[in-house]
Amino acid sequence: MKRLSIPFILLLIYGCREKLPVVDDFKNSNYKLINPNNQEVIFPDFVKGKLVVMNYIFTNCPDICPLSTNNMRLIQEQLKKEKIDNVQFVSLSFDPEFDSPEVLRKFAGIRNLDLSNWTFLTGDKSTTDSVIKKVGVLAVPNDSTIFKNGRKIYYYIHTDRIQLIDPEGRIRKNYKGSTINVNEIIADIKSLQ
Amino acid sequence: MKRRLLIMVALIFMLNTIIFAQQPKTQNSKLKIQNAWVRPAAKGANSALYFVIENNSIKTDTLIGAESKIAEEVEVHESFKKDNDRMGMRPAGKLAINPKSEFEFKPGGFHIMLLGVTKDLKIGDKIEVVLLFKNKGKIKIKAEVSDMPITKKMKQ
Repeated sequence: MKRLSIPFILLLIYGCREKLPVVDDFKNSNYKLINPNNQEVIFPDFVKGKLVVMNYIFTNCPDICPLSTNNMRLIQEQLKKEKIDNVQFVSLSFDPEFDSPEVLRKFAGIRNLDLSNWTFLTGDKSTTDSVIKKVGVLAVPNDSTIFKNGRKIYYYIHTDRIQLIDPEGRIRKNYKGSTINVNEIIADIKSLQ
Repeated sequence: MKRRLLIMVALIFMLNTIIFAQQPKTQNSKLKIQNAWVRPAAKGANSALYFVIENNSIKTDTLIGAESKIAEEVEVHESFKKDNDRMGMRPAGKLAINPKSEFEFKPGGFHIMLLGVTKDLKIGDKIEVVLLFKNKGKIKIKAEVSDMPITKKMKQ
């Protein structure tokens, strides 16, 4: 009986691991980014040891990125309700030339977001480009609007993504940010704890 | 004397008609705007306005644009799916609202883009926007700032 149960348990463990296979791994990659307080942070080093729920945004986006951000908020609220901690939320801008730390601070502030475990990040363009390339997010400037005063803003065609990263910095699952099923990611978070 | 009085009355009537025609309509029995809500945005940032247009008439009308003092620019936009998991946004141009139908402006689809809002739009605030229709002219709507759809039927 014991001989039979050991392979069964091993199979069960293997099966559980396979449920969320490793999509990609940050390995030793580290990126110098800037938080809304103008402080430099090393990503993903500063969140190592925590499960990370991450999305990729630009603040001139009025529709899809606020949808994704609001879904992050709903996930955060659900985790609080279920008393699940050790989860860090990260929103990275892929339009750092517009999304300064101050712009990101206002973007979060006007939405009354709980920033106790949620960090918005920007940085220099080459660094944010490296991060999104690493995680498989595409962001290409497309249409634009020119204001009466000559100011021009771009709208990106971009990957609509929320990502689950494990405490070792490995990407475990990608979700569509604007339409994510909150219950699905909560279940996935529980399975990685 | 009587003639002068008649001319005066006619002029006043004409003037009233012209002024009334130029005023935005807040309610129209054939074309209704419902459930209007708008996303929060810090001063200078962009926001999106959503609502449902109910066309109860037997004629098609066309949304040709929108205007508001709340933003530097106001445009009709559409979010679109580029491929499997990429999304984009583009100006939508004029939109025909078919007779006896509803047309929904909703997250991930059509929306009124408010570019460069002139003040902070905080949750619970209310803003005014005028929608421009080809046949019905101007319809003024009020929208509440919210981070999720307002589902109860709020008639304008």
